[in-house]
Amino acid sequence: MNTSYQYSYTNIEELLEILVEKGFIAPATEQQHATVIGRRQVQSSDLAFVTVAPEAARHLILDLRDRFGFTHLVLLTAVDYIEEGKFLLTYLLHNYELHHDIGVQVPIGREAAEAGASMESIHDLWAQAGTYQRELKEMFGIDFPGSPRVDEPFILEGWDEVPPMRREFDTKQYSETTYFPRPGRSTNDPADYMRQKLYPKE
Amino acid sequence: MSLKDILSPLTVWRRTAEKPYTVIDPINDRPGAARYRGFHKNDMEACIGCGTCETICQNAAIDLVPVEGIETTNGDSGLRPQIDYGRCCWCALCVDICTTSSLTMSNEYIWVDTDPEVFRFVPGAENKPWDNSELGYSRAEGYQLLDPERVEMPELEPDTRLTSFIEMVQGYSAEQAKKEADRCVECGICMAACPAHMDIPGYIKAIRENDINGGLALMYQTNPFPASCGRICTHRCEEVCAINHTGDPIAIRWLKRYIADMADESDYQAITKTAEPERTEKVAIIGAGPGGLSAAYYLRLLGYQVTVFEAQPHGGGMLRYGIPEYRLPYDQLDKDIDLVASLGVEIKYNTRINGLKESNGPKESDGPGSDGGPAPSFEQLYQDYDAVFFSTGLPDPYTLGIQGEDHPRVISGISILEDVTAGKTPDLRKSVAVVGGGNVAMDAARTARRMGCEVTVLYRRREVDMPADEEEITEAKEEGVKFITQAIPVRIEDKPEAKGEQAAFVWGEAEMVDQGEDRRPKPVLQEDKIHTDLFDTVVPAIGQGSSLDFIPEDMAAKIGIIKYKIKVGLHGETGEPKIFAGGDISNRLKDAISAIADGHRAAKGIDRYLRENQSKKETS
Amino acid sequence: MTNAPIIPLTDNHQAGRRVDLSSGKYLKLWQGPQHPGITGNMSLELTVSGDEIVDLRTHVGYLHRGFEKLMERRTYIQNFPIVCRICVPEPDFNEYLYAATVEELAGIRVPERANWLRNLTLEMARLASFLQWIGGQTGAFGMGVIGQWGITHRDYVLDLFEELSGGRIYHMYIIPGGVRGELPEGFEERARAVLDKVENLLGDIERAMFHNAVFKDRAKGLGVIPREMIDSYGITGPNARAAGVARDVRKDQPYLLYDQLDFDVVTASGSDTYDRAWVRFQEIHQSLSLIRQMLTRMPKSGPIHTQLPNPLHWKIPAGQTYRRAECTRGEYGYYLVSDGSGYPRRVYVRGPSYTHAVALMESMAVGANIADVAGLMVSFHTYPPEIER
Repeated sequence: MNTSYQYSYTNIEELLEILVEKGFIAPATEQQHATVIGRRQVQSSDLAFVTVAPEAARHLILDLRDRFGFTHLVLLTAVDYIEEGKFLLTYLLHNYELHHDIGVQVPIGREAAEAGASMESIHDLWAQAGTYQRELKEMFGIDFPGSPRVDEPFILEGWDEVPPMRREFDTKQYSETTYFPRPGRSTNDPADYMRQKLYPKE
Repeated sequence: MSLKDILSPLTVWRRTAEKPYTVIDPINDRPGAARYRGFHKNDMEACIGCGTCETICQNAAIDLVPVEGIETTNGDSGLRPQIDYGRCCWCALCVDICTTSSLTMSNEYIWVDTDPEVFRFVPGAENKPWDNSELGYSRAEGYQLLDPERVEMPELEPDTRLTSFIEMVQGYSAEQAKKEADRCVECGICMAACPAHMDIPGYIKAIRENDINGGLALMYQTNPFPASCGRICTHRCEEVCAINHTGDPIAIRWLKRYIADMADESDYQAITKTAEPERTEKVAIIGAGPGGLSAAYYLRLLGYQVTVFEAQPHGGGMLRYGIPEYRLPYDQLDKDIDLVASLGVEIKYNTRINGLKESNGPKESDGPGSDGGPAPSFEQLYQDYDAVFFSTGLPDPYTLGIQGEDHPRVISGISILEDVTAGKTPDLRKSVAVVGGGNVAMDAARTARRMGCEVTVLYRRREVDMPADEEEITEAKEEGVKFITQAIPVRIEDKPEAKGEQAAFVWGEAEMVDQGEDRRPKPVLQEDKIHTDLFDTVVPAIGQGSSLDFIPEDMAAKIGIIKYKIKVGLHGETGEPKIFAGGDISNRLKDAISAIADGHRAAKGIDRYLRENQSKKETS
Repeated sequence: MTNAPIIPLTDNHQAGRRVDLSSGKYLKLWQGPQHPGITGNMSLELTVSGDEIVDLRTHVGYLHRGFEKLMERRTYIQNFPIVCRICVPEPDFNEYLYAATVEELAGIRVPERANWLRNLTLEMARLASFLQWIGGQTGAFGMGVIGQWGITHRDYVLDLFEELSGGRIYHMYIIPGGVRGELPEGFEERARAVLDKVENLLGDIERAMFHNAVFKDRAKGLGVIPREMIDSYGITGPNARAAGVARDVRKDQPYLLYDQLDFDVVTASGSDTYDRAWVRFQEIHQSLSLIRQMLTRMPKSGPIHTQLPNPLHWKIPAGQTYRRAECTRGEYGYYLVSDGSGYPRRVYVRGPSYTHAVALMESMAVGANIADVAGLMVSFHTYPPEIER
């Protein structure tokens, strides 16, 4: 039981029920797709994921931090669902008293009009969040307006291609067009080779 | 700052007197650990060039290349892995997944050269200093990436089997089939071993992906008998399966059967249909066995007008009359045949070509075709059709060639099987001796067991020499068939008191005499070890010969039939351009799948012949 | 000079302060990307006034190989040899966490003995990594000799890894389904001999490093992390424990066999470079004890690997999970998303250096002395490849 926070709960299911009451997620239904808002997924007794709309995300994250005891931002990253035109942001939060994790997942449009993909910043909630957001800007092209140095290159230098973690960026193609393979390599398919050798005319 | 903090570090000054920890001459004094993942070794004899190492390599460091001195043979692609050390990360997944365990690593890790090209090399083929290194990484016991165990096929218990002719092999469930299909590494080495060169990895993949119709379509590309072959194929593919080197081979035959069983019959035609335009040329096919019907199927797909002449009342040839129902139920065979017929192939049953000698089997029909027309002669077909393909098989059982074989209690194995197929009960009585070691012998013995007989199989060589499928031997034993090996028949006598109702079978023990390398030992009768046993029935089942009397002599000479044997070209061509042949009469393996392959190739040969004919006509 | 660059300061607490380089009061210095005070390649861009740092920026990317991206186009088995490269000094945490997340989504149970062997290698990795850290920490303060001892003894641990896994640095030992081999014949005796050797060394290190006026003088009071920064900066591991925060994944969410092993969470209160070093030093002792416990209590035989589906066609049910482990530097985690295909949809690797070397370092360096930057950096114990993955 976490007692030092406004909302006390003992297990993940209870936590999810409170989130339902507060209107963040839908009541338990069958498993839906990850990018559907209101969805919940209980992975184990100490880990669950909930999907909320971008407008609700900061509110939920703040509540989880300040009223439920999820004080630790474990990670912030994105998964590219290119086929749906969406990124799914995952804010993984950890409760150090109960040792629970909750992944707050937020679907955002991949290319929202001219502005491109964008999300409200949480750099003021965790000092480390700025780094994550800077990386997401660079690697996925997701903007976090107001996040410190969000436009500064983080890992890449002089990169002018598609943000490389987007699914449409093809690493193999990039390496084939950018670098020079050493000549002289060729391989054979065993079945084709045996056909040529053993029964070419059949 | 305390004095202690100034003095304390001084207490470790004794370490200045220590000997250096460094290895002075690491090249010589520091060999890699016993399981060090060093430079690759490959046992060139054991490797079969399956390319699984190439598939798993996440660095794309491996190519399969031909190597001088390594021939492409059945079960060995003749290729060997070449590793690019500019890409290799020495993770050894290639070693872990190697199907033959031929690929390993030495503990050697120093290799200096000024030429970067040498670091792309074929392990085992280039005489490296580490080739014979005893140490180095190899897959550990208790850890294996490929599952060596085949999914067990549900079968009827031997006791249950003896009570009926119900199919004993029950077939895989979807889950079992997928699990078994999952074991395949898709190397495709099996394809060369299959006489029909079926796309085995392709249809196994279709099972994994739950694409039954796709799998069926793939099978029909090379084999119109999937339901039958899925049960009784000699599965030469499984013998060369890469997984056979590390465990049980993939159950390729059972997976084929799974697709045939699962496919909806109403989908069959759509799956196998092609868009070839109709052609006017007529092709006659003699014999509705697997060879004849295979040729008919592929010719029909090419648009030809095909008529099949079959002496028996039903199609399938030896698949029906030589293989008992418990191995190949008739409805499954009919499913295959019906598809061929449904495409517009005319099959004239009960139509014995004039002059075609009757086999010793049941005589359900004679003379004229059941459709009322007169039985055609071979010459007539030759005249009336644009091409003729004959695949009349081997209906005549060989005789033992011993004294007393004309005893009334001697019945050939093939005639017993034919009787049962025709719904007759062969007159076997109680104690039966089956002579021979092939599949017909096993099937005759097992059929006799199902009729309540006590059965002994006598075979002149050792059990390992038996030509029958291993599983037929095993299953015969499970069903209570007794085996006497190295037993040579001497003569059959009629005991006076038995009055032709029992045969006294005289046989002698054989000694296996070594015939030198590469030749199997020869059984030699030991004159002092002669036995006489009384049997109600003696069943010779030592093989069959062809019956080609329906072909007139002058034609036979043109075709190139010499002493009942016929030599054909790759596409079934005979000495007479219009006539093609295939199946057991001409091929070496004498099994269904070879006949099917013959039929398919002959269809291609006939197609080429007819197209050439057509273009000749057009130009002249 | 009117168009001289104005640099906004990085520290979030001091956002808004500006440094005018044209004033002549400031100097820019680069430390790295090759620098003995940094494990791996990374550079620090310092803005100094005199020898005091007024601004620091971490530059990473020198070791970027795009692992997470590469993993999206490789099969689950093909990713196994990749993950170890994400943290060179302790690859085993990557191997373990990758295997654990894959196994969780695929529903694979690992045999008990394999779990013991996994746990053993994780503690051996901790030992080796800490011994290397001693090299960096002492070297950064000009006590290179102690560093050499640490590195030498790390090599003895690597010898053990070599005979167990066939590789000294990239062990590739923990594979989905279990481990790749049994302990070699006589391993336990040789391992115990190495542990004894290290233990013997630790006495000397304690005297030469921790009871050393120079080390104390330089490390005490350097880089004090206030308690309130811990959560805001996502600080974990010894960096947090030295600030009195008793958190350790091994205790809090025990994985493998840690709930059966006897150990305590080491903490300190000073939260400075000295206390962080002291916590790590105690954890080296603890690691020795844990390895000894495991060697004694481990079952002597049993299966080491569960038969996997054919890795060439292996598809993993759609799902997502996150698993963490306590590496030498704090919380190491893997977030794995499967879309049901044969390739991971997303693998996110959370290394503790991500926050420690960037946000934390940028903040803590302000006000420090140039000469202390290396020592401060090493006191956070960071490894660049896990930042840039």
